[in-house]
Amino acid sequence: MRIYEVFLKREGKQEFRHAGSLEAATAELAVVLARENYARRAEGELMWLVDRADIVTADAEFIAPNTDKPHRHNDGERVAARRKKKRKGS
Amino acid sequence: MSAIDPDVYELILALADDEHLMGQRHTEWIGVAPFLEEDMAFASIGQDELGHAALLYELITDDIDEVALRRSAADYRSCWLVEEPCTDWADALIRHWLYDTAEELRWESLVSSSVSGLGDIARRALREEVYHRRHADALLDALLESGEAQQRLLKSLDRLLPLAVGLFEAPAGEAAALEAGVSDRPMESMMLQWQNAVDARFSTKAWTEVAPPDQQQRRIRSTHFERMYAEMREVILLDPTAVW
Repeated sequence: MRIYEVFLKREGKQEFRHAGSLEAATAELAVVLARENYARRAEGELMWLVDRADIVTADAEFIAPNTDKPHRHNDGERVAARRKKKRKGS
Repeated sequence: MSAIDPDVYELILALADDEHLMGQRHTEWIGVAPFLEEDMAFASIGQDELGHAALLYELITDDIDEVALRRSAADYRSCWLVEEPCTDWADALIRHWLYDTAEELRWESLVSSSVSGLGDIARRALREEVYHRRHADALLDALLESGEAQQRLLKSLDRLLPLAVGLFEAPAGEAAALEAGVSDRPMESMMLQWQNAVDARFSTKAWTEVAPPDQQQRRIRSTHFERMYAEMREVILLDPTAVW
């Protein structure tokens, strides 16, 4: 048995979104089972199935070794405060 | 609802009863199918069949519950294949394939029906049949390869073939119903095409030795019907006003 990740796309410009996963003996079985498990109520009109073993992954140690990175975030708060101060002063 | 010709009524009733009971039997696998994904898929296919049954009943009655569930046992026109319990997964899977292969031919015969609305129902059902057939074939492709599964499936096939042939037995008055244009061919004429499909899928069968049960034009019920009938009616008898 292999594990497949299921992605569904609704009509229009929406992107494919991860719907869930399932276990199946063959790719064809994965397709027919995914249809009933994830799209029986017409939740999407296009489906991608990806064998989990084929997914290229990267772990947390590589992707996000440090999560505290305030220098990478700018919510614009300080700039807004300075502009406001300037407007009031003029 | 305008009065419907009794022969037309009988034929549509037989088609609807087959779908109704097949759906009922398939959905019995919810929670107990061999693996989770199949559990959901098989019961969902059963729900499709129940949906077809409801559409067909609507053609002949304004009160579906009355016809589908309150009718007396003697008035059902189902074939015995759909009344069979099939509590073994190999049996259930083989019946699924045999029934859906036959059903596809049946819907094709109804596409240009003279009965208002029936052609649309047939076209709608045919779109779903593509999936049902693909599901059954995918499972058989995977399971017929290995020794034990293959043996079990072929044993089930031998056991169920006579009942499956009974699927092509028409209710009384079929000739008149055909005259009225309900379907474009008699049920029996679809059998040869179905037999060819069975031969191609498994192996050539000695069809002359396959004896269908004596269903007497679908007027009598198999021994398994009574219990199924009681289970189907459990809710409606408990609460006649129940909504579902």
